[in-house]
Amino acid sequence: MATVTLQNIQKRFGAVNVIENLSVDIADGEFVVLVGPSGCGKSTLLRMVAGLEEVSGGEILIGAREVSNLPARDRDIAMVFQNYALYPHMTVEDNMGFALKLKKADPADTAERVKKAAAILGLENLLDRYPRQLSGGQRQRVAMGRAIVRNPQVFLFDEPLSNLDAKLRVVMRSEIKAMHQRIGTTTIYVTHDQIEAMTMADKIVVLHDGNIEQVGAPLELYDRPANLFVAGFIGSPAMNFLEGRIEEGVFRTDKGLILPLPADLSPASAGGRPLVYGIRPEHIRASDQGIQGRATIVEGTGSEIFAKLECGGEQLSCLFRERIDIRFGDTVGVSIDEKRVHLFDKATGQRL
Amino acid sequence: MASVSIETARTETGNKGSKPSRLAPNYWPFVVPALIVIGAVIVFPWVFTLWMSVNSWTLGQEQTFAGLDNYIRLATDFRFWESLWHTLIFTVLAVVAPLFLGTLAALIFDAQFPGRGFLRGVFVMPMMATPVAIALVWTMMFHPQLGVLNYLLSLVGIGPQEWIYNRYSVIPSLVLVETWQWTPLIMLIVLGGLAALPREPYESAEIDGANAWQKFRYLTLPMIAPFLMIGVIIRSIDAIKSFDIIYAMTQGGPGTASETINIYLYNTAFSYYDIGYGSAMAVVFFVIIVALSFALMMVRARANWSDMETR
Amino acid sequence: MERTPVKRPFIKRRTLDRVGLLFAALIMVSPVVLFFLWMISLSLKYEIDNGAYPPILIPENFAWANYVQVFKENNFFLYFWNSVLVTGAATLLALIIGVPAGYGIARLKAEKAAIVIMIARMTPGLSFLIPLFLLFQWLNLLGTLWPQIIIHLVVTVPIVVWIMIGYFETTPMELEEAASIDGATPWQVFRLVALPIAKPGIVVAFILALIFSWNNFVFGIVLASRTTRTLPVAVYNMLSFEQVSWGPLAAAALIVTLPVLVLTLFAQKQIVAGLTAGAVKGG
Repeated sequence: MATVTLQNIQKRFGAVNVIENLSVDIADGEFVVLVGPSGCGKSTLLRMVAGLEEVSGGEILIGAREVSNLPARDRDIAMVFQNYALYPHMTVEDNMGFALKLKKADPADTAERVKKAAAILGLENLLDRYPRQLSGGQRQRVAMGRAIVRNPQVFLFDEPLSNLDAKLRVVMRSEIKAMHQRIGTTTIYVTHDQIEAMTMADKIVVLHDGNIEQVGAPLELYDRPANLFVAGFIGSPAMNFLEGRIEEGVFRTDKGLILPLPADLSPASAGGRPLVYGIRPEHIRASDQGIQGRATIVEGTGSEIFAKLECGGEQLSCLFRERIDIRFGDTVGVSIDEKRVHLFDKATGQRL
Repeated sequence: MASVSIETARTETGNKGSKPSRLAPNYWPFVVPALIVIGAVIVFPWVFTLWMSVNSWTLGQEQTFAGLDNYIRLATDFRFWESLWHTLIFTVLAVVAPLFLGTLAALIFDAQFPGRGFLRGVFVMPMMATPVAIALVWTMMFHPQLGVLNYLLSLVGIGPQEWIYNRYSVIPSLVLVETWQWTPLIMLIVLGGLAALPREPYESAEIDGANAWQKFRYLTLPMIAPFLMIGVIIRSIDAIKSFDIIYAMTQGGPGTASETINIYLYNTAFSYYDIGYGSAMAVVFFVIIVALSFALMMVRARANWSDMETR
Repeated sequence: MERTPVKRPFIKRRTLDRVGLLFAALIMVSPVVLFFLWMISLSLKYEIDNGAYPPILIPENFAWANYVQVFKENNFFLYFWNSVLVTGAATLLALIIGVPAGYGIARLKAEKAAIVIMIARMTPGLSFLIPLFLLFQWLNLLGTLWPQIIIHLVVTVPIVVWIMIGYFETTPMELEEAASIDGATPWQVFRLVALPIAKPGIVVAFILALIFSWNNFVFGIVLASRTTRTLPVAVYNMLSFEQVSWGPLAAAALIVTLPVLVLTLFAQKQIVAGLTAGAVKGG
């Protein structure tokens, strides 16, 4: 196990800058998730840590070792690929023991370690099978087993769950998390799915266009998104953004809707600049007073009701946890939990 | 298109990057042995032939630099132009006939019927059979008096033919053998195309009331057109350099009636040992083949392109 | 019960279609079958039967002696052995150097190398003969099997490299990346991961190289001497130098091509895969 330090990492493909200048510190034993939309550079970053892709500038340290010039085989890392990359011509046992065999480890010791890893993952009965004889979830476990057996300094995961169906994804999510809690190896996990990031990570790194938007614990990102991108990316359904200004202690949107402001926010600092008012759908409650809106979309899942309301020309997404009776076209009153309001500078996108 | 541009971007970093690639495995050691062999047995002959073609040299005599003399001689060599003409006729016929028959065979073998796999296996056999052995048996079958073909013709009331022994029927007869041998290749290529056809257009055409011929004409044919084009390219290249069958059956005869460039080249270099002149011929032949293949490939690329645009 | 009358004509039509297709397929295949039947017939008939009019398909007395004669009087054991040596050596050498090369070219995305290979495949064999003939003469190799083994590489190496490029291009890169993360050196990645996965491709390349080398005729007529002939040259020489008698000639032709035909029947899947893959790629 080890810390991982990325210092001023740069990556160019030809003339294209994929990553300009990026630094992250990952503590020993931490589970870090790199999350962002496709094309944000997260996979490239992971592949650079793995040694499959060169850095164009900067340094990668695993523990105290500078590894950016080492080939993958010398970095003492393990990686789980999106499509698992199991060796099709080897049994599960051989797949899991391959790295140790390459190190010329004692075969008896290898068998022992494979057996132990198989026990952790519930693969004991599948050791003689070939990958093509396994289900998607089993393959996923073998890929993880292959990583565990080696007892590497760092685990890397490259969107490992995206080939599984929705139900299995939830199961594997908790299995990976449980595995990490059990063996505690430093883990870097790449995904585009913010729910995976929120549920698994100790620390989330939000990437966008090759830059870090915010680094923090999941709830920190949820509660205090540093900018519009993170605010919109984290949380589902996405946060409502309403453009406008602060006037006389309230927020007036460009279309004239008046919205409440938190008491501790001093209007002076916002000084009439164009702002963006952010409120998550789940922080809007049904209420007889407050803002009146007409329901244009109503979707109930049983546990909650999602509705889109049109209020004074603005669209407002709301998520109601309590069972209320709304239909399409109804007029509904809602109130905003002003302690949960986020304000962003429209020009810079940064949180106030 | 996006993937292409990324590809080029990557190769650029590979070639021009400030530092040479440290992490990517070095693949050159895998290639070097083959490069040496290819250099020795393929590239060296190309270069050497080019050099010999500007020399005048008959084996056993003095070798002298001749400049473009050999090429000028070629341009005025009636026998060369004749062989070019024979090559053209032979190639056109030996492309068209297998193309037609092979497509027909592919349509049959694409359907389901008992014994399909076995019969297809039998059908493919001529393509893999040793051409010289095949040619000898065909020679016996073409025999004007004792050959079985004239007997078969007599059964349907056609008089005896002279086949490869007549200067007018020799090329069609050779094409017959070539067609017999190479129709399976077209069949396999088209079969591959048919296997890749999507089902939905046929179902929707059926609902639209198309009959079998209309389905073939408006769905199958346009969709397998790229594969037919591949067939034409491969068959053209093979036919133009066809040697074994022609040499084993007629050696270019009777007279020079079936002498293609390849046969004339062989005779020049290895019967008359006129190395310089033969090399010049080899160079011209090489250029013709490469030019033809690139022309056909460009037609194919453009066909694919227009195909994409209409979609 | 009410459904059957609707269904039955449909089934009937389908059977009819199938019979029609079978019939059409039989017609397509008949030139092939008749040719090989006639070849066998010729090889098993005495001169008298072969000269008979109307021709005889199945003779009263089988002339097995034709086969004995081919081996006894024409040194066919030697030529068969020559063919085995030349084809075997040229194919094995091609695999040893061509499979890694296909891998390297595919991974390097070396388009230029691929184009050289493609042009090599298009170039007529004859145009390699003049320079190499002179080279072998100069090296004083004529009269041994080496010139033929070497020149057969002109056929076998491009086939093997070409098929292997196509094959390695389709094997997923992640497997090799996983192996290198697992600690494999590039050579180990090739030997322990890429090579085993490419086994089907290697089989295809092997079979095609074998067949094309076995069938090759043009190199032999120039480079082979009396003792170094391969089978195709030997059978051709029977035609030119002896009183042409059809029985032994047909028997010899059959002996030459039989190994290939048997291979074709057994390895049909690989041959089809190789030819169509090569075809589509070779374009």
